[in-house]
Amino acid sequence: MAISLEYVVKETSGNLWRNRLMSLAAILTISVSLALAGASLLLKQGVSTATSQWKGGVQLLIFMQPNATSSQTKAVSSQLNSLPEIKSYFYMDQSRSYQEFKQLMANSPDLLKSVTESQIPPSFRVVLKNPNDAPSVGSLFQQQIGVKDVNFNRGAINTMLHVTSIVQFVIVALAAVLLVSASVLILNVIRVAIFSRRREVAVMKLVGATNWFIRIPFMLEGMVQGLVGAIVAAAAVIGIQSLFEYVVSHFQVTVLSNFLVSSHDVFMTELFVVFMGIIVGTAGSAFAVRRYLEV
Amino acid sequence: MIKVDRVCKRYKEDEYALIDCSLEIDRGEFVFVVGASGSGKSTLLRLLLREERPDSGQVWVAGKELSSMPGWKVPFFRRNIGAIFQDFRLLPNKTVFDNVAFALEVIGKSKRHISTQVPQMLELVGLHDKQERLPDELSGGEQQRVAIARAFINRPLILLADEPTGNLDPENSWSVMGLLERINRTGTTVLMATHDVGIVDSMRRRVIELDHGQIKRDQTRGVYGLGQQTS
Repeated sequence: MAISLEYVVKETSGNLWRNRLMSLAAILTISVSLALAGASLLLKQGVSTATSQWKGGVQLLIFMQPNATSSQTKAVSSQLNSLPEIKSYFYMDQSRSYQEFKQLMANSPDLLKSVTESQIPPSFRVVLKNPNDAPSVGSLFQQQIGVKDVNFNRGAINTMLHVTSIVQFVIVALAAVLLVSASVLILNVIRVAIFSRRREVAVMKLVGATNWFIRIPFMLEGMVQGLVGAIVAAAAVIGIQSLFEYVVSHFQVTVLSNFLVSSHDVFMTELFVVFMGIIVGTAGSAFAVRRYLEV
Repeated sequence: MIKVDRVCKRYKEDEYALIDCSLEIDRGEFVFVVGASGSGKSTLLRLLLREERPDSGQVWVAGKELSSMPGWKVPFFRRNIGAIFQDFRLLPNKTVFDNVAFALEVIGKSKRHISTQVPQMLELVGLHDKQERLPDELSGGEQQRVAIARAFINRPLILLADEPTGNLDPENSWSVMGLLERINRTGTTVLMATHDVGIVDSMRRRVIELDHGQIKRDQTRGVYGLGQQTS
């Protein structure tokens, strides 16, 4: 038996309009929870981008004295070559280091002016086979002649990963609680809709409307609420993302630029958000229909 | 057309609504079911509509055995059965036309089918000039006629009527009965549960009397009253 599209659209939109306040509450709850979930996903992506740059890139920095001689530099270089823990390394000479310094300090022109290229330490950027070796390998070079300082970021990375995982856990837990409450809200909206239309439902059963014919408008009502909430959430996620990008590019916050995520990541996150919205809406209404619509 | 075979139904542990009921109704019959409140009339009608299942025994309606019918087949079965009630069960926010059209709409009939069938049916029940009225604006008798139009629009084989005149004054009751008779003459089996002594006595149709869930009397060309049975 065909269910006419017109009938379904008319019934669903009619139901939504009749319960518009309740529907709005459900939609907003879904929006907030999914926006949180989406933002937390992007945060995770951002952290993994940022840390992967560290991981795939540099774990150990050996800064030479700005006035280190070329033989001192060669000594370090050959020692790096001989160490089995080293995967790869490259040498940042003074002029390239100065370029990088200028980029990092773009916001502080005073500091830039006070430093000349000759004061910048060149450095070895070392990739280790095992990042945990950074302290031990680093200590080998600490006292070497011509070496100014040794820096490994392991601790900083660990702290960052740790903090973000806690933040993320809190956000995800919050989002999960909100999603459950959104689902319950939708369940209640649909229950009210079923109750307010019990006469229609009774007549439908009497004249032989099939179970799915009776159920579908109610199910769709929940699904539409989930979908609308998800679209609002998706828009919010895009908003947060572009605000972040704007802040990074406009104020040249280079530290944060490590956290920028690709448009592919954003797209996948949006897809996830919309999908979750539909799932939550349909689940809530399906439960209400099963529980309260005896057909 | 209808066959009830040794049916028992109880709602509570020791309270039987129907005890070992058996009856048979042929195609085209007009049958009154009478009895005091709680005698099982409504339960019988609910069983015939498959709103309830019997605890034991079999119920055959229009060639289908209802106690073993799977749930998904029930809607299709009900399209062959019309039903009207004491409280009309119209939708208050729909017009007369839409109330009748609703019965076709929800079983997926086309707009064209609806726009030709509904006016015809309203013509038959004498309400073609009140198509755009809301149920509230009609008298009780008119509302019941709308309900009959809705019940009969699919040309069912059987029309079940649960005290259709219970809320109506005598004049309206008679107009409803006239309609049911006309429907019966088209070959539709009519089964009507009623308390209305005057109607039963003057129409002289088959009467089945229920008493405490049992069939006490089954009489062709019967009357309502107790102690008057002659069969």
